[in-house]
Amino acid sequence: MSQVIGLINYGIAGNIHSIKKAIKEAGGVVKVISVKEELKSVDKIVLPGVGSFKDAMHELKSDDLFDELKKAIETKPTLGICLGMQILSTLGFEYGKTEGLNLIDAEVKPMLVDAKVPHMGFGNIQIVKSNKLLEGLENEEFYFMHSYEMVNYTDIATLSNYGGHQFVSAIHKNNLYGVQFHPEKSREAGIKLFKNFLEL
Amino acid sequence: MRTRIIAKLDVKPPYVVKPVHFEGLRKMGSPVELAKKYYEQGADEVMYIDIVASLYQREIVFDEIEKTANELFIPFGVGGGVRSVEDFSKLFHIGADKVILNTYAVQENPELINQAAQIFGNQAVVVNIEAKKWDTWYECYTDCGRIRSGKNVLQWAKEVEERGAGEILLQCVDSDGRQRGFDVELSKLIVESVKIPVVVSSGAGKLEDIKELIQYAKPSGVAVASVLHYDKLTIREIKEYLRTCGIEVSK
Repeated sequence: MSQVIGLINYGIAGNIHSIKKAIKEAGGVVKVISVKEELKSVDKIVLPGVGSFKDAMHELKSDDLFDELKKAIETKPTLGICLGMQILSTLGFEYGKTEGLNLIDAEVKPMLVDAKVPHMGFGNIQIVKSNKLLEGLENEEFYFMHSYEMVNYTDIATLSNYGGHQFVSAIHKNNLYGVQFHPEKSREAGIKLFKNFLEL
Repeated sequence: MRTRIIAKLDVKPPYVVKPVHFEGLRKMGSPVELAKKYYEQGADEVMYIDIVASLYQREIVFDEIEKTANELFIPFGVGGGVRSVEDFSKLFHIGADKVILNTYAVQENPELINQAAQIFGNQAVVVNIEAKKWDTWYECYTDCGRIRSGKNVLQWAKEVEERGAGEILLQCVDSDGRQRGFDVELSKLIVESVKIPVVVSSGAGKLEDIKELIQYAKPSGVAVASVLHYDKLTIREIKEYLRTCGIEVSK
């Protein structure tokens, strides 16, 4: 039976169209979640993210589904994408200091690098600690589009390099997965990542 | 760092057209079909610009944009006729990853850049600058090189960065569609004057033009249109050639 992936729709900043399309392409069934009652029927969760840490957390917290979502994320396999990964952290520093979901011991800070920011474009990943989500993707390129990075030392799955600066490009802790890059914008490699997620 | 090779579609719905020197239009095909073709050739991104929406003051044609987005698993930038945060929001919801602003920001309300950047993040806001060369300065134009703004390109580039734009698309009114090479001096000036990525467009006629631009001005990306539409070059050929010149590009 096909897996039902709950794609969390929060506020105007959620860019869910392309993620939905990519999961479908990978063979999954997507249910866009806007109210808490819908969370029960999904097998896995994808947290999208476009926008700022502050706005994303504000939207999520003011949403009626927040408490249920937090509970669901603690048990169901969950994939955070870009900002969706960043908000799993303890604290974010975009437009002031904002508390995150505090599921990963990390802070989200501006990329300090001697190169153009935002970091935009395809880049490699270097596997630090392998996991099933990244299986077969060691040599692939993924699309990055971000100005902030997650600073974490305990749950690093991959690192990437931009302008001589190394940063965390994927994390993994128990049922939680996060990627700084956009698999939905990374050609076939990204579809493969979603297939891996469906198979978890 | 890999220089992005971007396919740019100038659209007068329902067709991709090729403005020559920003005037005279030729129909080149449908956005859906061309976007798909360039995606399969290995484009790093696709940019879709409705070149008449602002000029005719009409609504953005969302249908065509959504259909085009559906063909792509790479970033998709969309612009033309964007006037509000609501326009941004609608475009993201139908599959845009970046929204490209020009006329409204430069002629009426630059504050929209700040608002959009705060809500959607800097990376989602691209400002398109159409530069026209005068004796000692460059002036910002809008509506495909038709309307003057009086604004200085260099100052405007710094201002949009300050306001929160995440990227600049630099187009040159004088070299656009002519396939006679880029304005490399202007490109270098703008790339070196801001910290955000600059994508340079207008002028690719042959492989060497692209190489020279990248080596001299070091833009983050190069947007190509005419050479692709006329099947003079494919994205794959461009990337293979750049690799042989020692320029890093994605697969």
